Amino acid sequence: MFPARFRAISAAALLSAALAAPAPALEKGDRAPDFSAPGLAGGTVSLATYRGKVVFLDFWASWCGPCAKALPALDQLRKEFKPGDFQVIAVNLDRDPKLAVKFLSKRPVGYPSASDPNGTVPQRFGVDSMPTSFLIDRSGVVRHVQRGFRDGDVAPLREKIQKLVADKR
Amino acid sequence: MRRKCASRAALRRARERRRQRRRLARRPSAMVRALTAAALALPGLASPAAADSPPTQARSDYHYSRYAEDAVESKKVAAGSERDRYEIDIHQFRFETGISDRVGFNIDITHEAMSGATPWYVTPGPNGTPVQVMTQATIEEARTDALLAGDYYFDRGKATLSGGVSSENDYLAFNGGLGGERQFNDKNTTLSAGIGASFDRITPEDTNKYPTRPHRENKQTYDVYLAASQVLGSATIVQTSVKYQLGTGYLSDPYKLAYVAGTPETDERPDLRNQISWLTRFRHHFRSAKASVHLDYMLYADDWKMYSHTFELAWYQTLFDRFLLVPSARYYSQSQAEFYAPYFTAPRGDGYRSSDYRLSPYGAYAFGIKAELPFEVWSLNWALTAAYDRYVSGADLALQKVDVENPGLVSYNLFTVGVTGRF
Amino acid sequence: MTRCLALLLLALACSGCAPVRPWERDALARPDMAWDPDPLGAQLGKHIQFSKEGSLDGGPGGGGGCGCN
Repeated sequence: MFPARFRAISAAALLSAALAAPAPALEKGDRAPDFSAPGLAGGTVSLATYRGKVVFLDFWASWCGPCAKALPALDQLRKEFKPGDFQVIAVNLDRDPKLAVKFLSKRPVGYPSASDPNGTVPQRFGVDSMPTSFLIDRSGVVRHVQRGFRDGDVAPLREKIQKLVADKR
Repeated sequence: MRRKCASRAALRRARERRRQRRRLARRPSAMVRALTAAALALPGLASPAAADSPPTQARSDYHYSRYAEDAVESKKVAAGSERDRYEIDIHQFRFETGISDRVGFNIDITHEAMSGATPWYVTPGPNGTPVQVMTQATIEEARTDALLAGDYYFDRGKATLSGGVSSENDYLAFNGGLGGERQFNDKNTTLSAGIGASFDRITPEDTNKYPTRPHRENKQTYDVYLAASQVLGSATIVQTSVKYQLGTGYLSDPYKLAYVAGTPETDERPDLRNQISWLTRFRHHFRSAKASVHLDYMLYADDWKMYSHTFELAWYQTLFDRFLLVPSARYYSQSQAEFYAPYFTAPRGDGYRSSDYRLSPYGAYAFGIKAELPFEVWSLNWALTAAYDRYVSGADLALQKVDVENPGLVSYNLFTVGVTGRF
Repeated sequence: MTRCLALLLLALACSGCAPVRPWERDALARPDMAWDPDPLGAQLGKHIQFSKEGSLDGGPGGGGGCGCN
């Protein structure tokens, strides 16, 4: 239907858009890539150290309203499980980590936050909205991708975590 | 017995391996998925990226403003006419909050108390230059305005429904609107559209005193807008929008007269007006300077042959990481409506006439300064605001050459103080 | 057919601007980068312009900001 030249131009445009696109978002069933980043409170946060536990990985920033709402809710969820079974780790994406430190000093949480101002980790995870979180099972496979955060998301998450914690493989 | 258990376990493992293979076989290769993702990043084939959400905090604003027009210059006003113009005390209140995971709403209430004299009609002065005849100063009039808007947030967009009422001693209007926006391209592009309507009833005062004044008139306005915004960089965004409005019914001013061949006659305007405006807004943040710049330009035209240009510039400067200072400037220039004249020596063929300065050719500049100071009390975030704006208009400020200035052009001072609370 | 054309036009239009990633929107999320950081001030300004000048006010906002939910 379309002349060859038109098709070629469309293909070129699509390709240029494809080159500009981020890494594809990790989906349920994908293996979560290992990463290591400096912690906001010092030290290093590395995903590999949590292998064998169910992990909730949360990407957040201090300027993101729903991200801020998620923090206390996630901390609460974390306390409902044994630390040997379930852990929450976060990756903070503030360009200026000092803002994140200031934010956490007013609203502290009991789980570690890595600092990635350049955004290399969210790129690898294909993060396409803020906040985005990944529920990872004991063997390091993504079992649920949580896009955005609403109050109604907590109950279904709790159910999913309970199922994954029960799966001791 | 053990062998049986072992074989059962082995069977289970083999079954699981087959299941895994089938699962992997169903999933497309990484390459295909990468290309699909690229396609998904294009607008239309929306990515699962979720849109904005209801406000995470409730916000309340209150502003008090005092609007005071400059007195008319004595050389511009008819002998014996009132020179002091309008003064208005304005109270504005706004409250916005999210009420569920997907719904937010806001309410706006304005109350104004006005007093003073306004331009009534223009007559030829001693040497032909027009002079303004003012009405007598009104004792006090009040206007109350209320608007309620609700937002529903989808995954990739938002819908808004609004309704409002505006009431004055001689005026009652109901308005409503419906709008929506949709996000594309990883939320870098937003398209929005909306429609609105307003139904107004005017019941002018003092019709006994002024028998030519209409007793009751209706006016309807309908509008539609389309807007597109694009993120140009991590600190830059631009939006362009077009709005079309149709006005029908009584579009004249019942309180104004036009001097026609020596007699003041009622203001008569067409009962139809097609208006279109094109607004482009630009926002950029300078990280190192901790400042943002706002630049707006609007082009307006209507079928009364009036057109105008508006330029607005504002600089949002953050100081000491808490204090906000905003100097701003505005320039406005309009041409005249076809049936406008300061006064008429003979009636027009189409029967229309108006000497309203608002339909005359002129230009205006305004400058303003606003300061905002945030502070925390009872672990809630508050902010205090103070602002001053000065507006000056004149025929010599117009972009085009103007032969005769309308003596009723207005200049004013506006003082505002306010408080905002977030909780 | 129209969808293909629309996609192509928008793809061509945006192939020049690299899309800003969701975690890079810190500046866009700032209150001073909103279309109307002061809604009451903007409302009063529009009302005064409508009452004292001859033109329409412009269309409303949409886009920019945090981009979060």
